[in-house]
Amino acid sequence: MNTNSNTYTIIYTTIIVTLVAAVLAFVSQSLKSRQEANEKADTISQMMTAAQFATKADLQKMGNTAVLAKYAEEIAQAFTVGTDGKKISDLDLSKVFSPKDLKKQNYNIKGGSNAEIPVFIFKNGVTVVPVYGAGLWGPVWGYIAFEPASNTIKGAYFDHESETAGLGAKIKDDPEFQAEFNGEQADFNSANVFDIVKGGAPKNADGSSVIDNKIDAITGATMTSNGLDAAIDTWLGAYSAYFKGIAANKTEEE
Amino acid sequence: MDAKLKETILNPIFKGNPITVLVLGICSSLAVTVTMKGALVMALSVIAVTGISSLILSLLRNTIPSRVRIIVQLVVVAMMVILVDQILKSFEATYAIDKQLSVYIGLIITNCIVMGRIEAFALGNKPWPSFLDGVANGAGYGMILLIVAFFRELLGSGTLFGVDILNWLGYVPNNLVILPPFALILLGCIVWVQRSIQKDLQEK
Repeated sequence: MNTNSNTYTIIYTTIIVTLVAAVLAFVSQSLKSRQEANEKADTISQMMTAAQFATKADLQKMGNTAVLAKYAEEIAQAFTVGTDGKKISDLDLSKVFSPKDLKKQNYNIKGGSNAEIPVFIFKNGVTVVPVYGAGLWGPVWGYIAFEPASNTIKGAYFDHESETAGLGAKIKDDPEFQAEFNGEQADFNSANVFDIVKGGAPKNADGSSVIDNKIDAITGATMTSNGLDAAIDTWLGAYSAYFKGIAANKTEEE
Repeated sequence: MDAKLKETILNPIFKGNPITVLVLGICSSLAVTVTMKGALVMALSVIAVTGISSLILSLLRNTIPSRVRIIVQLVVVAMMVILVDQILKSFEATYAIDKQLSVYIGLIITNCIVMGRIEAFALGNKPWPSFLDGVANGAGYGMILLIVAFFRELLGSGTLFGVDILNWLGYVPNNLVILPPFALILLGCIVWVQRSIQKDLQEK
């Protein structure tokens, strides 16, 4: 048979491509539920890391089932709010709102209107919200946890798709960077809610960071730091009405 | 086992190692050698991809129209790479490593070793030797990956496979070792060692 004729070539490639597509579609379908389960446990463990229940590595060692069980035990409520701070609807706790879902919202650094953004409140009162933005090579995202009805940050966890290992990837890999957020205070009255400062945030005489809305950027990762800074400003900005609202309520109650 | 088959298996491990002699697959060997675990998963993934794609293409070798053979090779290799990625994502134990390796699993398709061995060997040989050739080349690649990762994880984090080896002795992890340039320096040293053992590789 002439394997170089046009007809043969066209038929041959069509068959090969169809076969490969069928194999991939089948595998993708049959593995989908397992992959989603992994992704869900991973997203939840990011949230719980931000809320300081355990470190990410410890949660990973626990395994998916244990992570989900611990989450079910600790979470009190989850709901969505609008940028005006008003509650819109309850979230189904069995589903996961990934920070990546923020991308679908009609809201960005320039502002926007009808965003519907999630708030997670744990039984100890810690409130966790997601942030999402663009790093140097790809998306960066994470969770920021606040002390009960306060603008004081309890903890944070960040992840990225493809930042440079050893530099930008430190937003995820360097526990010291994430620990810098602990105890700092977001400024919900400013457009610059939180700042990651190149060249050093203000320090106390003993070298500890001043309690404000500024932390040190990562050396050698200016673009990633700026991207994360913009991500945090954008999304904490979207939450500012909500956080101002609960702070006001708290003062009234007192 | 006859001598030729033995040569097929042993050559890529040392004498014709894809990384140190053919200088293929350098990019990923710099990128995924920060930890032993990552390097091991990457090595196994590459072995699976080179072995099975060589086998499939060797089976098809007499039917492939020569004008589109590169495209057919690409389709088969791409399928294998996606399969490996999907499988890694599906298991709890490998999910985190897959995330850590991120784009580099997908980039196996651009690893010159895979296409190079298919083009140079699998299209002209029977399936069984082609499979062995693919596996052996993947193993040669993986071996260098593990050697580099051994030094980088030990000196860069003070651990091996995540188990603390040096830190409890008061070792301060060296950050330079974590950065890609150090992998290049290490690779250079490995090439140096190999060339001093194997004199016929030295240029006059």
